[in-house]
Amino acid sequence: MHSPFTDMLNTVARVRGVTAALVVSEQDGIIVDANVQIGQPGDRVAALAASLYRKARLAARAASLGDVTFMQLEAPGGRLCAVGGGGLVLVVVAAALVNVGLVRVELLRASADLASLAEGRR
Amino acid sequence: MITSVVESWIEPPLRQFVVDAGVELALLLHPSGQVLAQFGFARAMDVMTACALAAGIHATGGELGRMLDGRPFRGLHHAGSARQIFVAEARSTRGTYIFLTVFGQESSIGLVRLYFDELAAALAAAAPPDGPAPAPALAEQFEQDLNRNLAVLFGRA
Repeated sequence: MHSPFTDMLNTVARVRGVTAALVVSEQDGIIVDANVQIGQPGDRVAALAASLYRKARLAARAASLGDVTFMQLEAPGGRLCAVGGGGLVLVVVAAALVNVGLVRVELLRASADLASLAEGRR
Repeated sequence: MITSVVESWIEPPLRQFVVDAGVELALLLHPSGQVLAQFGFARAMDVMTACALAAGIHATGGELGRMLDGRPFRGLHHAGSARQIFVAEARSTRGTYIFLTVFGQESSIGLVRLYFDELAAALAAAAPPDGPAPAPALAEQFEQDLNRNLAVLFGRA
């Protein structure tokens, strides 16, 4: 099924090392659309990553830093990156050796479209 | 954090759920409406009311599911403007329980569903396998049992 987010997710998921790309409702932590490799626990990642992103956004605001533009979490087994817009969060799960710069560029490019897609303007 | 339970094996899983999911209220009850555990309620009357409503919601959802889908609906989520409610069924060797939780901006339905699955698994694992089966909730004993459970929960037993 083709959703308004399918092209965005496919573009991000094509980056070598990316194992999951998910569009998640920031408020609910529920998956809106996803491109997930078999074996990835999409629902769990979505709920926890959306909560993490939301708290990061609130923390940045509390510290008068402005909006979160790009969030990255490093762990021994890989990375979790996220951008937000329009009440949605685009979450990427990637291997440790992924080209983070490329992921960042793709996510920042996608974040510009996220809000307009969420509002149905595209 | 004040979590009170009628049966001690319920407390660790419920406490863990409350910490992980960041909910404001939690209630575990028998489908008849008899309370088994609560977190966050200050008054016995509120627990009694919530139990009656949760049992009604569960029964109604079950029947609607049977009519529409041939099997009972097992979960319900209602999003209010400031708070949300989630009602679902948890099974263990001791029987089927209804779980009700209320959460606000600090949590989300995604987190609540995620940790509810863990709670249900933890309750199933923690339930004493050889323990006495719960007595049937008979209409003539219902109020007496409910009052006894409320007294245990609110330290009046």
